Amino acid sequence: MKAIIIGSGLGGLLSAARLSKEGYEVEIFERLPIVGGRFTNIPYKGFHLSTGALHMIPHGPAGPLAQLLEYVDADVEIVRRKPIAVIRVPRKKGDTDYKYGHKDLLFENFRVPFSLWNRIKLMYYVISTRKKPPTGQSFEQWCRDHIPQDWTYRISDAFFGWSLSLKAADVPVEEAFEIIENLYRFGGPGIPIGGCKGITDALVDVIRSRGGTIHTSSEVTALKMDNGKVSGVIVNEEEHDADIVLSDIGHPATADLIDEKADIEGMDDYIRKTDKIKPSAGIKICLSSDKPLIGHGGVLLTPYAKRVNGINEVTNIDPNLAPEGKHLTMAHQCVHWNDIDDIEKEIDLGLEDLKDIFAGKEYEVLLIQSYSNGWPVNRSPSGADLRNRTPVPNLYIVGDGAKGKGGIEVEGIALGVKNCIQDILNL
Amino acid sequence: MKVNEKCVGCGQCIAFCKYEAIEVRGKAIFNSACIACKACIPYCPVKAIEA
Repeated sequence: MKAIIIGSGLGGLLSAARLSKEGYEVEIFERLPIVGGRFTNIPYKGFHLSTGALHMIPHGPAGPLAQLLEYVDADVEIVRRKPIAVIRVPRKKGDTDYKYGHKDLLFENFRVPFSLWNRIKLMYYVISTRKKPPTGQSFEQWCRDHIPQDWTYRISDAFFGWSLSLKAADVPVEEAFEIIENLYRFGGPGIPIGGCKGITDALVDVIRSRGGTIHTSSEVTALKMDNGKVSGVIVNEEEHDADIVLSDIGHPATADLIDEKADIEGMDDYIRKTDKIKPSAGIKICLSSDKPLIGHGGVLLTPYAKRVNGINEVTNIDPNLAPEGKHLTMAHQCVHWNDIDDIEKEIDLGLEDLKDIFAGKEYEVLLIQSYSNGWPVNRSPSGADLRNRTPVPNLYIVGDGAKGKGGIEVEGIALGVKNCIQDILNL
Repeated sequence: MKVNEKCVGCGQCIAFCKYEAIEVRGKAIFNSACIACKACIPYCPVKAIEA
């Protein structure tokens, strides 16, 4: 059996590695000259910055991505070291920003700022919501109905801004609780040694060692259709045949590759659904410093910042991601859909936040990277994607346009790939 | 070199420019160091750079 994969992002590479393990002949076509999509490194001033994702795996060495990497025999190392997450709060109770100093709380102690009554309610909800997860509203609305307190909204916006690049008001409550459940199940984040590229390079090695091929600078311009099924792809006007095609470029861009004249049942409805997808947007600010700004390899959540949701300093775990004697720190902030046109203002607010968060520390802004629309944080916002299937029975979507339930970022990509491959192998 | 409206400001082009000719802040901008070598064009994930 022959599988063609469109796009060499993490979803494409994971799928190819997984299918090659099942004996499939795999061939990947990548439009760009580099492999890895939004999950690889770019060299800049001696630092290993990234094309998209932060150098962090949400559930570290125990999560769905780590499990899938191990299953496909990828040689990677993901290091989880305490503290895994710390929350920065103003030093004085009642302050609403970091201007007059701060203190750091361990993530395990996130309940401390709640009122006594809300702490009691929280203990009850921790048990009751696991038995009967709530449905049909946003996470923010659920919080307003059940634990109304400023701290609730701040910590949930910081957490979901960092992990999904969404405001809590845009996260379906079902997805939020599945994510919380996964935090209990798999634990917190870890740093991949070598950064994002450490993972994608290992997958490339696996694919090549099993005879798979990866073509860069090779854009798929159309799908070859035959009797309602896909029979191959067109690259540089040449046809390449396949039994199945997996696309890592998201639902809308994949739908565009199908000839309008191909008579496929359910196509109109599918296109209507893909048109409604709103990719999530965000800004990453990369900092360089001589002395550590955070001092550990976990995430620093910043619920009292104006825009920045969280920050990590990966060089505390992998010093090779920066030149000798330097640290690499990356801050992430969610950009709401309404603010995408005002991206420069959002960047200014993020930079102001960093001045307050790191008051008295010296650092240099290396690069400011923003992601939206055609090159977003996530092609589908978490909890709203269309899963792996398309109206074409042997054409599947993988990657951040088709994540699995409750999967944060790349964990969702791994869950989506796992679901997709199970679907394919059961055919 | 021109940057069209598709640019999202991801900064990927900067890493592949040998002349430090690109700056990015929400969107990429070419400065006077650009010699129009076009090396950056294929690295843009959204086809935002035009000669």
